[in-house]
Amino acid sequence: MNKADKILILIILLAAVCTYVPIYFSYGKEAGDIAVVRYRNEEVLRLDLHQNGIYHVKGTNGTVEIEVKDGAVAVIEENSPYHLCSLQGFVSSGAEPIICLPNEIVISIEADDGDVDVVMQ
Amino acid sequence: MKVRKLCECALLIAMAILFQLIEASIPLPYVIPGFKLGLANCVAMIALYRYDNKTMTFVNLMRVVLAALMRGTLFQISFWLSFAGAICASLAMWFTKRFTPCTIYGTGMAGSSAHVIAQVAVIMLLYEQWRMIAVLPLLLVTGIPTGIAIAWIAALVLKRLPMKEG
Repeated sequence: MNKADKILILIILLAAVCTYVPIYFSYGKEAGDIAVVRYRNEEVLRLDLHQNGIYHVKGTNGTVEIEVKDGAVAVIEENSPYHLCSLQGFVSSGAEPIICLPNEIVISIEADDGDVDVVMQ
Repeated sequence: MKVRKLCECALLIAMAILFQLIEASIPLPYVIPGFKLGLANCVAMIALYRYDNKTMTFVNLMRVVLAALMRGTLFQISFWLSFAGAICASLAMWFTKRFTPCTIYGTGMAGSSAHVIAQVAVIMLLYEQWRMIAVLPLLLVTGIPTGIAIAWIAALVLKRLPMKEG
C-alpha cells in the first residue's frame, strides 16, 4: 500500500464529496411556480402559488376545496372514504403531487415556462 | 502453453460466475441500494496480475454474459448494469495498472469505484431520474474498504499460485 494508493483514496473521497454539491444547490429549486389541477387528466385550473387563495373544483364525489398559501398548495376539504389527500397537507415540491383518486383530481406543481416535466416515480 | 492458459482462463471464468451468483444470493442489509462486495472483481484482478489486460477483460465480459444467461436475465436491466460496470471496471483497472504507480490495492479501489460510477450512470440514463446520483457518494465511500479487502484476497491468492509456464 504505497503513496499512490493513498492519493487514490483521497481522490475517491473528494469525488464523493463533490457529487453532493450539485444536489445540495438544486434542492430548493425544485419548487415550481404554478400548481396545475387536473380532473380526469384534463387541466381544469392553473393556480399561481404566490397568490394565496381558496378555490373550488368539481370532483367526482363532490366539490374539492383547494387552498394556496405561502407557495404551497393543499386540499382542505373533500369527499372521500379515507381523506388521504387532505391529510397530506401542504405541498410545495414538484416531486409530490396531491392525488385524490375518488374525486379523480391530481394537483401537481410545475414550472411556469410550460415545459412538460417527465417525473417517473 | 496456450492450452494451459486457456484452461486457467476457463477456471477463472467459472469462479467469477460462481462468485457473482453467490453475491446475488447473500442477503446483505439493504441500507445502501446497489452495494456489492465485489467478489467477482477479485477473480478479474487475479487474471490481470497473472496474465495481461486482454485476459482480464475477456474474463469479465464472459462472466457477465454467462451469468446473465444462466439466470435467464440476459439483456434485462441487471445485465446492462453488470455489463457497464464490468467494462468500466476493466478499463479503470487496466489504466491504473499501466499508467499509475499504484499497487494491487489501488487497482482494486479504482475498479470498485469505476464499477459503481458506471452502474449509477446507467441507472440514471435508464430511468431518467438524475436524483439517483445521491447514492453515488455512499457507494464510493463504502467501495474503498471493499476494494482494499478484495485486493488483499487477490494478493494472497497470487502469492500462492504456481508459476505459469509460458
